[in-house]
Amino acid sequence: MSRGYLIRRLLAIILVLAIVTLAVFAITTILPGNAAIMILGEYATPDAVAALERQLHLDQPWYMQYLSWVAGILHGDFGTSLRLSQPVTQVVGEAFLNSAMLALTALAAVIIVAIPLGVLAALKRGTVIDLAIGLFSYLGTALPEFVTATLLLVFLAAPNVGPFPAGGFVAPWEDLAGFAAHVILPAATLGLILLAHVSRQVRSEMSEVLASDYVRAARLKGLSERRVIWRHTLPNSLAPAVAVISLDIGYLLGGIIVVEEIFAWPGLGRVLMYALENRDLPVIQAVTLLLAAIYALSNLVSDIIIAKLDPRVRYA
Amino acid sequence: MSAALTSAEAKAASKEKPALAVHKYSLSYRTEAGLIAALRNIDLTIAKGETVGLVGESGSGKSSMAWSIMRYLPPNAVEQGGAIRLAGEEILDYTPHEMATIRGSRVPMVFQDPSTSLNPTIRLGEQIAEVLIRHRGLTKAEAYAEAEAALARTGITHPKEMLQRYPHEASGGEKQRVVIATAFACEPELIIFDEPTTALDILTARQILDLFTRLREETNVSALYISHDLGLVSRVVDRVAVIHKGVIVENGSVDEVFRHPKADYTRQLIGAVPDPERWIGVEAPAVPQTLIRLTNAGVHYGGPSLLQRIFQPEEAGKVGFWGARNVSLDIRKGELLGVVGESGSGKSTIAKVLAGLQDFEGTLEVDGRTIGSRKAIDRAYRRRVQIVFQHPDASLNPRQKIGTIIGRPLKLYQIVPRRQVKIRVGQLLEMVRLPAAYAKRYPHQLSGGEKQRVAIARAFAAEPELVICDEVTAALDVSVQAAVAELLVKLQRDTGTACLFITHDLNLIRQLAHRIAVMRHGVLVDFFDRRDARADDRNPYTKALLDAVPVQSSSAAA
Repeated sequence: MSRGYLIRRLLAIILVLAIVTLAVFAITTILPGNAAIMILGEYATPDAVAALERQLHLDQPWYMQYLSWVAGILHGDFGTSLRLSQPVTQVVGEAFLNSAMLALTALAAVIIVAIPLGVLAALKRGTVIDLAIGLFSYLGTALPEFVTATLLLVFLAAPNVGPFPAGGFVAPWEDLAGFAAHVILPAATLGLILLAHVSRQVRSEMSEVLASDYVRAARLKGLSERRVIWRHTLPNSLAPAVAVISLDIGYLLGGIIVVEEIFAWPGLGRVLMYALENRDLPVIQAVTLLLAAIYALSNLVSDIIIAKLDPRVRYA
Repeated sequence: MSAALTSAEAKAASKEKPALAVHKYSLSYRTEAGLIAALRNIDLTIAKGETVGLVGESGSGKSSMAWSIMRYLPPNAVEQGGAIRLAGEEILDYTPHEMATIRGSRVPMVFQDPSTSLNPTIRLGEQIAEVLIRHRGLTKAEAYAEAEAALARTGITHPKEMLQRYPHEASGGEKQRVVIATAFACEPELIIFDEPTTALDILTARQILDLFTRLREETNVSALYISHDLGLVSRVVDRVAVIHKGVIVENGSVDEVFRHPKADYTRQLIGAVPDPERWIGVEAPAVPQTLIRLTNAGVHYGGPSLLQRIFQPEEAGKVGFWGARNVSLDIRKGELLGVVGESGSGKSTIAKVLAGLQDFEGTLEVDGRTIGSRKAIDRAYRRRVQIVFQHPDASLNPRQKIGTIIGRPLKLYQIVPRRQVKIRVGQLLEMVRLPAAYAKRYPHQLSGGEKQRVAIARAFAAEPELVICDEVTAALDVSVQAAVAELLVKLQRDTGTACLFITHDLNLIRQLAHRIAVMRHGVLVDFFDRRDARADDRNPYTKALLDAVPVQSSSAAA
């Protein structure tokens, strides 16, 4: 992977984000309703509305609004929340951190559980174990997150039944055990849905690699079964799973909105819901841009990991 | 002479137990259609220091024999008695664990294609060292030092550097040397070679065979050499066993088998091996007339992408390579022009240019008309120039019936009125010596040779003036290959069509071609009449190619 390649990829990401800012800005501008009236209420005096419009630069042509918005972003200033009267960076920043902790926990759980499951299914292909793993994973994918979440709540967090709290959030730096207890159910809900994607991908790729000439050659070299599986087969089976995980990050960004709502997790999803309900445009714009950036970056990271896994992949 | 030496040694060691003794061994596979016999009553003995060739066509059971010896059989294999003894020990009784200690150390294996038998994501050094660590209990450092020495013995010039490379960073010959070094790493008793040179270029294959001969003399190892190529096998083995439909039909010294073959099948195999001295082509027209002339043709692959041109214009010029450059040649009416070269020499590139499948520079002249680019090639030209590809499996649509496949050019170019298409398809099938009833079949219901005949019939259906055959016999068994070559000659005789025959098989092309073009690295290095193949002023590369190929039957038996 050459430096030129990385630079080109980063430039492409910046281009994508620039297009996203345009799209986000266009949508929020096209939306019916005047932001100033929304804030001040229907019975505001025309003078007050005009004053607020000036304050929000709504009286300027759209491209001036856009440019000043982008210029602000470049200085790390996403504007001020219309409803909370706080800087957007502050509102979104804290929520983003909370969401990231939830999403990364879910992602880590998926990787830790799904890859071994996929390996096991591939090694026991066609047996009851393979079938059971397949059924379990597909069930996880087939159920929408609100059903999974409800089931988990009923069985693991109902009063006097489950060991886990039904919702809420504790920061890990305040109480790590408390954080763990709170994060398990929402992370499991998100993870169960992704389990099948990753484990099925590992299984099918692993089956293919197990049937390859070089794995046969490794066996015929008399290597131990452990070495054949972990050194010769698994690393070569992971690339498609990595690609799927990076696509799943896109899903996680969406799924997290529902899951945070159910489990009262104070993250981006809740902020976005709140902002949408209240037409808090600066917040909506910032969150959308952030989600797009995460998605683009996770794609780049997955390409880098894939290149590390397979030396033949050379991006130039 | 090396053969004489090793067989003398073998005789001296005859009191010892043979390296391998297979006795009355039978093997079947359980399928939906019941048990299918793969090996029947096999008797095969390899003395210490001896090399035995096991020769057969695809499906003969030769690979099954290798898997049986390695105890690496699929779950549906059923062994039906017999014995396989390694230095006197019955390995049929070994547990999988015991077998794992034998594989790769006492009985290593060298595979057909080093580019698939080496793990693409592991450095070559680790792939040799892991065997030494496993079987000889060396530490990592010792194993790498030993690996370096083993590589050096195979003639690799910078072994230390090679250890650090990944398989895709080494050439085919280097990779096969790595595999061979691995096989020789743990003082083996018996090495199983499974077509070790089939995937390699002519010159590389020659070097690998020489390497094997040298290492065998140095180590006095026994070997089982599995191949479909009788001519090649005769060069490296002491004795040869011919296997046909799971039965060993002939077993004897190389000389004996070639001079006095006992089984009909052996005679048939020997007869099918191409013999450059036996001309089977058609007579070329007395007065040569040019059909197509290619002048300064060039093809450049892998140009810079749009992004590269924008962001790295200074490097864009370095991207890509010439698939062919400054190639000028003419094809005469009714002749068979052979194009030979190793993989990557540009011979298929030229075929694609002529068939109108590839953008090119330079010019193409037909009937006094000059064509300067692929886009200028019209339908009339495409009808006149047809192509047959190497793999019929890939070039015949698996969802279409044979009748549809052959009928397509008939309809496309309106060769015959619509209602006569069916009749013409039947005639074409009979022309390639297939029953007309095959029109109703699907490609998968045909054998490899039959499928290639269908592809040939499709090419001739357009009533072309030139048929390009791109390695059409490379994927076929020797006997099938001979039949397909004869068919082409017959079609040429009947239709007067010219043929551009691309191949890496020098013996075959010398039987068929009127003129031969030799390509290397995208350049035409030699172009000569078949009679001048052995002339003194041949290009050195042509000479090297001709010398690298084993020529047997008449000459090898001497």
